[in-house]
Amino acid sequence: MYAHNHTAKQAAMMDMDDPDDTVEEIQRQDFTKLELKPDHANRPLWVCADGRIFLETFSSLYKQAYDFLIAIAEPVCRPESMHEYNLTPHSLYAAVSVGLETETIITVLDRLSKTKLPKEIVDFIRGSTLNYGKVKLVLQKNRYFVESPFPEVLQKLLRDDVISRARMTPTEAPGAGSSSFSVSRAPHETGVADSELLGADDVAAGAEEKELHSFEIDPAQVEHVKQRCLPNALNFPMLEEYDFRNDTVNPDLPIELKPQAQPRPYQEKSLSKMFGNGRARSGIIVLPCGAGKSLVGVSAACRIRKSVLCLATNAVSVDQWAFQFKLWSTVGDHQISRFTSDSKERFRGSVGVVVTTYNMVAFGGKRSEESQKIIEEIQNREWGLLLMDEVHVVPAHMFRKVISITKSHCKLGLTATLVREDERISDLNFLIGPKLYEANWLDLVKGGFIANVQCAEVWCPMTKEFYREYLKKENSRKKQGLYVMNPNKFRACEFLIRFHEQQRGDKIIVFSDNLFALREYATKLKKPFIYGPTSHHERTRILYAFKHSPNVNTVFLSKVGDNSIDIPEANVIIQISSHAGSRRQEAQRLGRILRAKGKPKDRMAGGAEEFNAFFYSLVSTDTQEMYYSTKRQQFLIDQGYSFKVITSLPPADSGAELSYHSLDEQMGLLTKVLHAGEDIGIEQLDEDVDDITRGRFTRRHGNMSSISGADGRVYMEYNTGRGRGGKAKVRDPNKPRNSLFKKRFT
Amino acid sequence: MVNAIKGILITCDIPMAQFLISVNDAMPNAHKFIVYMLDDTHIYVQPDVGTMLSKKLEEFRDQNTFVKPFEA
Repeated sequence: MYAHNHTAKQAAMMDMDDPDDTVEEIQRQDFTKLELKPDHANRPLWVCADGRIFLETFSSLYKQAYDFLIAIAEPVCRPESMHEYNLTPHSLYAAVSVGLETETIITVLDRLSKTKLPKEIVDFIRGSTLNYGKVKLVLQKNRYFVESPFPEVLQKLLRDDVISRARMTPTEAPGAGSSSFSVSRAPHETGVADSELLGADDVAAGAEEKELHSFEIDPAQVEHVKQRCLPNALNFPMLEEYDFRNDTVNPDLPIELKPQAQPRPYQEKSLSKMFGNGRARSGIIVLPCGAGKSLVGVSAACRIRKSVLCLATNAVSVDQWAFQFKLWSTVGDHQISRFTSDSKERFRGSVGVVVTTYNMVAFGGKRSEESQKIIEEIQNREWGLLLMDEVHVVPAHMFRKVISITKSHCKLGLTATLVREDERISDLNFLIGPKLYEANWLDLVKGGFIANVQCAEVWCPMTKEFYREYLKKENSRKKQGLYVMNPNKFRACEFLIRFHEQQRGDKIIVFSDNLFALREYATKLKKPFIYGPTSHHERTRILYAFKHSPNVNTVFLSKVGDNSIDIPEANVIIQISSHAGSRRQEAQRLGRILRAKGKPKDRMAGGAEEFNAFFYSLVSTDTQEMYYSTKRQQFLIDQGYSFKVITSLPPADSGAELSYHSLDEQMGLLTKVLHAGEDIGIEQLDEDVDDITRGRFTRRHGNMSSISGADGRVYMEYNTGRGRGGKAKVRDPNKPRNSLFKKRFT
Repeated sequence: MVNAIKGILITCDIPMAQFLISVNDAMPNAHKFIVYMLDDTHIYVQPDVGTMLSKKLEEFRDQNTFVKPFEA
């Protein structure tokens, strides 16, 4: 059913030289027979039989429909007027886990749809959600309970050997026999589905209380019980919830949000998904950079009010998290401690907030006595909330380790970009929990919560001499150096820096993954630069000058600046070299300038400045960089951004005032690049393990797409659960090849 | 005595001319096709290489162009 999720546009592009296939393709995507409801104009959705859903964003019901869709379906592409979503088993699992019931999903979807719901869709929703969410694993007063409103489901589970052995015999009712469960009452879900959409009768039903049946299991057997419940065994996947209000064993942490911390509507919404039924659910919240992820994290901690373990990617962001906790909440200095290789603060008392890095916790080697003690304390403590920042960058094995050695009741993952170039996203679903909320970037831009960015791709033609060297076979490993150091690119970069510094008084970040280029550009232009080996002290000094001095308006960063270095002042990014085709990096870098600046009224559409931030990507034309550049932009394009192409930079009349004007200078630069050796300027950081970095620069034979990591598996991350294990997808030779590819492969 | 050679005049931008030169250099001597390099953007080539060159060029362009894949 999900094998065919091309968009209508792509279908239209299909090759026409293969009429049979094309006709079949069109027939399969022909929905003209679907019956329109008489009042279809008032309804916002097109629901197709193949699981795709289209949302009209200009509908008056857009807001409600968006909230509902984001809960039940996976966003595929969200440009301005029309969004595309895809219903998948996984997205439905996430929907059930935030408390939506099968019938609610079908009713609301039908109410919003312009056409009668196709039967396939109804069947599919029923089939996928039948067993989801029926069983919950609840940690209450440090005892594990398997809980369900359906006693017959529990009976079924207990017929399984592993589970019945794990069951703890109830001591208080010895004569009752194994068929009885303890029964409790719980308030029905609230605040998840919009009451306007449900109508009066549904809301009345929702207010009633529900009976819950449960039995206790042996804590040592939890892992096995969970495993037995997975879809490949009994198929009753368990939801994990933490009943923190009734947890009397773990001490409370008396912290509250400060009055000035006013969560924005979308932050409230994401928190309501997490705390929908008065308990805390584990899961992932996706918000763009600069939209206030830390406030969501701190708010969650303030609601649970138990010990918090906060994990960040590096020491700088550890400092920033500690600062955010103190800024937004009433946490005292004695209740918060940082644990990094530089600062090992012992924590005092039995409850508190500990901020550390993934590396520190997962580190396998020998530790100093001091940190050994701290790590033991982290392992022995029972954490109310495990707060994980930037979950998309951490390798899965490190995650497994962190999660296995820390005992936490509830896990909250925060990220801006749930894309990776490998398949680790599905690991996240399994390790942390389903995606609870994902914000729409363009809506936040319209609301003035994040900056309105003008994205541009600047095309720089290669010079004759550089291109000649680029094309030589013996220089195949110097290609990157050649297209990054292209003098035309350098001049465009210099021009842009001058323009923004002098004409607009902007603060500029220049990103270069290539260290050779970073050093050359920065030295030539006399600007400070920061890369991996730059000491913490030096970094702080440069960033301080950048923030406060009117003379330092440009700073060059290597990829250490992609994540977590918080530079709210910057509003221009110039990218001169990047990490191959990584869509995540592109989005992270854009995120550096998304924090909204200036007065809100100027930022709104039609305000004084429509665009107040600029993102330039400098690309040497006719080189591999063009390929990478387009690939990198895909994520942002799916979020509704568009890239403007600029071909005339620097302007034709610019001469010697920009560097490398004369041929002599250019030749000097060329000699330097060619003598710099192979694979010049590659930086390897601990934190950037991605499929592209892993095993890079080993000589491999293959076509362009496999070398860049663009083959088969790259776009499979939406179909979680399929093709796991990192194997490239092998085409079934018996299936007919899609007409679009026929021309290329025959 | 005027010496007339039949051929094709190619007008292109600077990088493309460099690309054609590199294709020419990679050919065995018998198949070299550039007759005269007139200047940075004009090349005079053998009359029979037109289709071959446009094919080479298309291949090269394809390598540098990203096409969003989708599940088939």
